[in-house]
Formats: sequence, structure tokens, C-alpha cells
Amino acid sequence: MKRLLQRWLAPRPSFDASQRQRLVDWLALPVADRTAPFSGSRFVVVDVETTGLNLMTDSLISIGAVAVVNGKIALGDSYSVVLQQRVSSAKANILLHGISGSEQRDGVDPAEAMLSFLEYLGKDPLVAFHVTFDETMIRRAVRQYLGMPFKHPWLDLAYVMPALHPSLMRSHRVLDDWTGHFSIHNDDRHNAVADAYVTAQLLLVAMHLCSAKTVPSFDGLRDLERMFRHATGKV
Amino acid sequence: MSAIHPAQIDQMTRHAPFDRMERSHLLWMLERMQLGYYAKGEVVVSPAQGVVERFFVIKQGLVEGEQSVADATESDTWLELVEGESFPLGALLASRSVASVYRAGQDTFCYELPVADFHTLLGMSAPFRDFCTRRIANLLEHSKQVIQAQYTQSGAEQQSLTSPLSSIIRRTPVTCAPHTTIAAVLETMHASRVGSMIAVDEAGRPVGILTLPDVLERIALPQIDLHTPVIEVMTTKLTALSPQSFAHEAALLMAKHGFRHVLVVENERLVGLVSEKDLFALQRVGLRQIGSTIRHAQTTPELQQAAADIRSMAHNMMAQGVAPEQLTQFISTFNDLLTARVVELEFGASGLIGTPIYDGMCWMALGSEGRLEQTLNTDQDNAIIFVTPDGMDAEQVRTTLLPVARRINETLDQCGFPLCKGEIMASNPKWCQSLEEWKHGFAKWIDGGAPEALLHASIFFDFRALYGAHDLADNLRQWLSRYARSNPRFLRQMSANALRNRPPLGLVRDFVLNDSDRIDLKLNGIAPFVDAARIFSLAAGVSHTSTLQRLRLSAEALHIPATDVEAWINALLFIQMLRLRHHDEVCGKPDAECLPAMDNLIDPEQMNELDRRILKEAFRQARKVQARLTLEYQL
Repeated sequence: MKRLLQRWLAPRPSFDASQRQRLVDWLALPVADRTAPFSGSRFVVVDVETTGLNLMTDSLISIGAVAVVNGKIALGDSYSVVLQQRVSSAKANILLHGISGSEQRDGVDPAEAMLSFLEYLGKDPLVAFHVTFDETMIRRAVRQYLGMPFKHPWLDLAYVMPALHPSLMRSHRVLDDWTGHFSIHNDDRHNAVADAYVTAQLLLVAMHLCSAKTVPSFDGLRDLERMFRHATGKV
Repeated sequence: MSAIHPAQIDQMTRHAPFDRMERSHLLWMLERMQLGYYAKGEVVVSPAQGVVERFFVIKQGLVEGEQSVADATESDTWLELVEGESFPLGALLASRSVASVYRAGQDTFCYELPVADFHTLLGMSAPFRDFCTRRIANLLEHSKQVIQAQYTQSGAEQQSLTSPLSSIIRRTPVTCAPHTTIAAVLETMHASRVGSMIAVDEAGRPVGILTLPDVLERIALPQIDLHTPVIEVMTTKLTALSPQSFAHEAALLMAKHGFRHVLVVENERLVGLVSEKDLFALQRVGLRQIGSTIRHAQTTPELQQAAADIRSMAHNMMAQGVAPEQLTQFISTFNDLLTARVVELEFGASGLIGTPIYDGMCWMALGSEGRLEQTLNTDQDNAIIFVTPDGMDAEQVRTTLLPVARRINETLDQCGFPLCKGEIMASNPKWCQSLEEWKHGFAKWIDGGAPEALLHASIFFDFRALYGAHDLADNLRQWLSRYARSNPRFLRQMSANALRNRPPLGLVRDFVLNDSDRIDLKLNGIAPFVDAARIFSLAAGVSHTSTLQRLRLSAEALHIPATDVEAWINALLFIQMLRLRHHDEVCGKPDAECLPAMDNLIDPEQMNELDRRILKEAFRQARKVQARLTLEYQL
């Protein structure tokens, strides 16, 4: 309750003229063609670390993102930011994501962090594993620090993967199950960039597998996700 | 903004050469890399994709390189690359296509760097550069492989070895029950004209095979009773492949184990038999076949066909990466065979066979043919030595021989050996001479040393007997060897003449080009070695005419270090190979009409960096040969 109050009592977004202009520029960017083939597309695979798993009370600590450009992961086109926290997160939480208290307090000003994330993202679609969590955290941070709603196309690999591999549906639920199945190593689990990178590798696999089942494009994968959600009642 | 994760860097630094690279260079590389995914069986890079565009490092998984059958040896038919390994270095350095098809052996992730960044990184990071270039231990060796890759790409023959066996099986195999008598089996084999018999059980499963060579070894020599069931003499350890297997798999099995046949089996049942012959039929012409065509040819069109086959085979051999030394020897050997047959046929037609004129005549090859260094583009250089039979004079013999020689020259022309523009042919009265006349002429050249004499010496002193009375050529060779050695002044003049032709290297070790901005490989590259070898051999009394043999055999007598000689030879072979490749490219397809205007000019700008570097080194060796001549004759 204390944290919830803290957030409500936080100052309204305040940024300077140049930051405002950057936001206007971002809003003016054209929307990406989501029917484009993989060979002519850019997806941004994202993962967040937070102070905890409660969507209501916990807040964003860091964002890690990797772009998949033309069907391949572009290592140079990646992004990582740690948001400056006024109070560092609990010790158990620090042990999980490994971002120390001082690192959290030394992070980037949250408004600047969210702005630069949007600039990195452009208007390209987002991909994550269990989107609800990442989407909620990012949407809330955008509203809180940039004072605007964040509606963006998302693709959830947590539904796309079982849709492509129905036989593994029951045994494979979390990210580690799927990366394990495709022997994708993750040397630094619960680091936002490393997790995004691993998720991106899973996306490459999905891009390869999907042509048999759907149109190979972002919308094709989205349709697959929707159908699977519908079929399994997870709308 | 980029956020390369430390774990990615750490993973890289577990492998050479990334472990030795500066961290900033490593980051530079990673930022420009992509990570691609290849499902099991998917092609990562193949010769068909043309010049390679990316440098690959395997992040995880397995990549297999399928080498062409031509150069597959027992131990490395397959190239297996695992996590941390980089490829295809050779193709990247030479800016060419890869030699093998690289295919994901498992689901594989590869880091990929664009070729332009690869080259920048080579310039930036010394450990990276060392690693990439040292992997290609021998530059010449590498160049050979590259050529091979290029031709594999164009050669339909090669590709047919990747066709499935099901497309090669020609007829249903002849089979018998295991307990049929040997006598009955042999009769069937004879009647149906097959080289092998397979025994199958009631279910159609093969249980044994008998081939014609077995008949001698297992039946005739041990004198087996022909009423014995055939299964007792059959090979029962059978090797089978599925119809989906590739022709090259069958070829490899045969090559490895010395089998002549491989059974094709589907669901345990015999469906076909592939013999060594079936596989060779995939390559249109075989060496033995060309040889036999030439020996039995009766007409000019048959000989023309054989000449075309020689060219086509030379093209195939280049495709298989046969070294230039063997290749030029091959071309010369078959051209010899062809020329000898033409000479034989024309003398037969002239009615001279059996006369003393025919018995005392020797047809000689001169110039590059004499040195066994013919390429696909060689015009005729030939001559006749004869002995004057009792009661005749040289002029009479010449008058008899010249019309025959003229017809031989014309037939050779029709077979693709253009007439010599300088009239250095046996049909020219000046070059159809008695042994005494030749000695007299040679002596005049050696004693006089006029510019024209030196030029002639460079062609005629490479003579070699090709048909007829070989002893006449031997006699002339021995005489020449003695006479030239006793005239150091002449050798000195020849050296001075040879030194006029300098390898085209500029002051800063770059190429000096001719008026058309090109390099004449024959004149500037090969001639310095050939000229020096000729002089060395005359000085050392070596009777061989091949440049390589001349260099090797003269070295000891002249106290030239063996390592120097080998370096010269490698350089010469490299230039020779560039020249062959150039001709072959000009010729286009092996069976296309060769353009008459084949030159030896190449544009260094068109060469890739690796070839340029080797060519410069080769020219440097040519200079060293010339320096040796300078030293020897104090010029």
C-alpha cells in the first residue's frame, strides 16, 4: 500500500522542450507494415526486470531489447536501460535480477529512459514471452513518466510456440522449457538483455517453423497466437 | 544504442581467434554481427550463392561441409564445424564462392558478419588476421581449391554425382536363387551380357553377389566344380545403399573399399545395382576412352572429336583441381598421342611406310610441346629429322617428305592446332632436314650468336621426338649438349637475351602493366623461368626438355639450393595455372568452339587480392631466377 501511495504521489511528468519535441517526433513516425515478410521487417524483442511480480504495485527497473531485422538478430541493434529508482528494491529481488541498489539509484532518469526506449523501438512491433507482464510494466511506465497511453502491437511467443508445437503444449510452459527444447543457452537468466536475446532466438525458430501454418509475417504470427488463445480459452 | 551483453562477449572469447582479440575490436565485430538461425538440413552457404557475402561463426549447433567427391579422401569426406568455429575463410579471403555446400547438421545459430566488415576487421585486428590467413597454410594449395570450387559450380558432371541413385539405376538387376549351380549362373551372365549376378532369397532380399573378376579368382583358378551352388563362391558381405542415396556416396564406397558394384536396396529388397561404369558414365568422357578413340581413329572427323574430348577432359581436370604440372603433362601426352596418330595416318596414306625414308624419319615437337607444357592454346611447332638413305641426297628426301608434312600440318590445324605463323613447321623446307644439316645449323647459331639465332635456339633447343626414329633426336640432343657446353659465350648471350624480358614488378613491388593495362603471363611470367631453365640445362648437360625437370636436374650440377628451385617451380606453376584458367575461361564451355584469338593477357585489377599477392610473389621468384643467371654469367 505504501508503494502504491508513493506512485500516486509522484510528481507529474515534467520534461524540457527538447524532450517534448522528441516525443512529438516519435508520435509522428509512420506505423510499420505488419504484413511485410520477415525478410523486410524489424521486430523488437523485449524483456523487463521489475521490483517484483505484482502488476499493480511493483515497478520497472530495467528494459532489455534486441531487434530482429530481416529475419536475423542484429546484435548491434540492441538496447538496455536501468531506470533510476528512488528506493532500491528488496534484497531478494536484487538477488534475482542482479541489479544492485546503487546501480538502481544511479540509473537513467525514468522519463529519459522511456523516451529513449521509444526512440529505439520506433513504431516496429514488440515481441515478448508472456506479454502481459512486460506490456503492463512498460505501459504503466510510459503513462507515469511520459504522461501518455501506450498502445502498441505485441506478439506473445508464450502462445505462438505451443501453437507451432501443439505436442509440446502441456510440457512446455515457461521460457526455459522452450529454450531448453531448442537448446538455446542462456548464460545470464534474469538479465533483461540476455533474456530478450534468448527470446529473440526463440522468435527466429518460430519464424522458421511458421511458414507451414500461417503467412510468414508479424500479422501471420499474431493470427496464430489469436487462434491458439481462442482454442485454449485463453483470450 | 547497442547493448551487447557481457555473456555474448564471454561466449565469443572461449574460442580462437576471439580469445586473443582486443575487447574493443571484439565489440566492434559483435555490433556488426547478426545472429541467424538454420534448421537442421538447411543450407547455410553454398557454391550456387556465388561470391560469399558473410563470415560465419557458429554460436551453437553443427555445420557440415559436403566436399566434392573429386577431392574427398578417406578421412575427411565431411567437414564438421562446431560451436566457435569460423567459416568460410578461404572463400572470403579470395572473394569467391565456397567450395562446399555448408549445411546445418543440427538446429544451428550462427553469428554472421558482412564481408565488408570482415575485411575491415582483418585490417584492424592482427590476431584475427593471423588466424584467418594461417588457416590457409599454403597459398598455392588454396588457390587450387578455389579453382576447383569454381569449376565444380559450372561442371554439370560434378552435379550429376549429387543425383540420387534411383535416377542412375538403368535396368533391373539379373538375379538368381542362392542354390543355382555355378554353371547355370555363368551361362545366364554370358547370355544376358552382364558383369555380375546377385542371389536373392524368396523375399527378394540380396544374399550374395558374383562378378566377372570373381570368376577367375574364385572359380577358375581353384577349379571349383561348376555344379556347386553359386552362393558358396559368392561375396556374402554386401554393401547396400538406399535409392535416395547420392551417386557420390556410391562412388566413395567403391573408392574406399575397391568395390565395383553397390547394391541398391529398398525395404530390404533389391531394387537395383550401380556399377563403377554407371558412375563413370556420368562423366562424359574417360581418359581410357579418349586414348582408345585416338589410337583407332581412321578419319579426320574422328580425330577432331578426340581433340575436342581432350579439351573437355582438361576442363574437367581443372574442375577437379588437378595441379598445373599434371594438367599440362596430361594435355601434352594426349596431344602427342593425337599428333602421332595423324602422322601415322598421313604416312600410311602416302604409301611411304616400309620405305627407307619412312624408317629414317623422326617427327619432332618443338617449343612448348617439346617441353611438355602445352596449354589449351598452342599452335604448331614441329620439325622433321631424317637420315639420307644410300643413293639419295638430302634434297630428294626432303622433296618426298614435304608434301606429307604439309598434309600433317593441315590435319593438325583442323584438329585445333593452328598453323604456326612463323612457319616453324615440318612442311617448311628449312625445318625438314637431315641429322647433319641440323647439327650444322645448330652449330652456326651457337658460334654466331646473332639475335635471330638466339630466338631460334629458344624454340628448337626444346625439341623432343614424337614419332618415328627416336634415336635421331637422341643423337642430336647428345651432340647439342656437348657442343653448347663447350661454348660458354653462347650461353652468356642467351642469358643476356633472356634478361631483357623483366618480370613486370615496379619499384614498389606493384605490377608494371603493358599499354593495355594488362600483364602478359606468358611473356613476362612464364618465359623468364623457361628461358633460365633452358640455359641451366644446356650448361649442366641435362637432356630433359620439361622446364620443371630441367630446373630440378640442373640444380645440383649448378649448386643451386633445392629450396630455391622449389620456390621457383611453385611460382611457375602458379602462373601457369592462372594462364590455364584464363584460357579455359576464354574458351567458355568445354565443347564450345575455341576462339582463335586466345591471349595470355590478364588484368590485375580483375584479380582477387589473394591471387594478386601470390602473383607478385611469383614474379619476385622470376626475378630471383634472373638474378641467378646474372650471377652465373656475370652480366
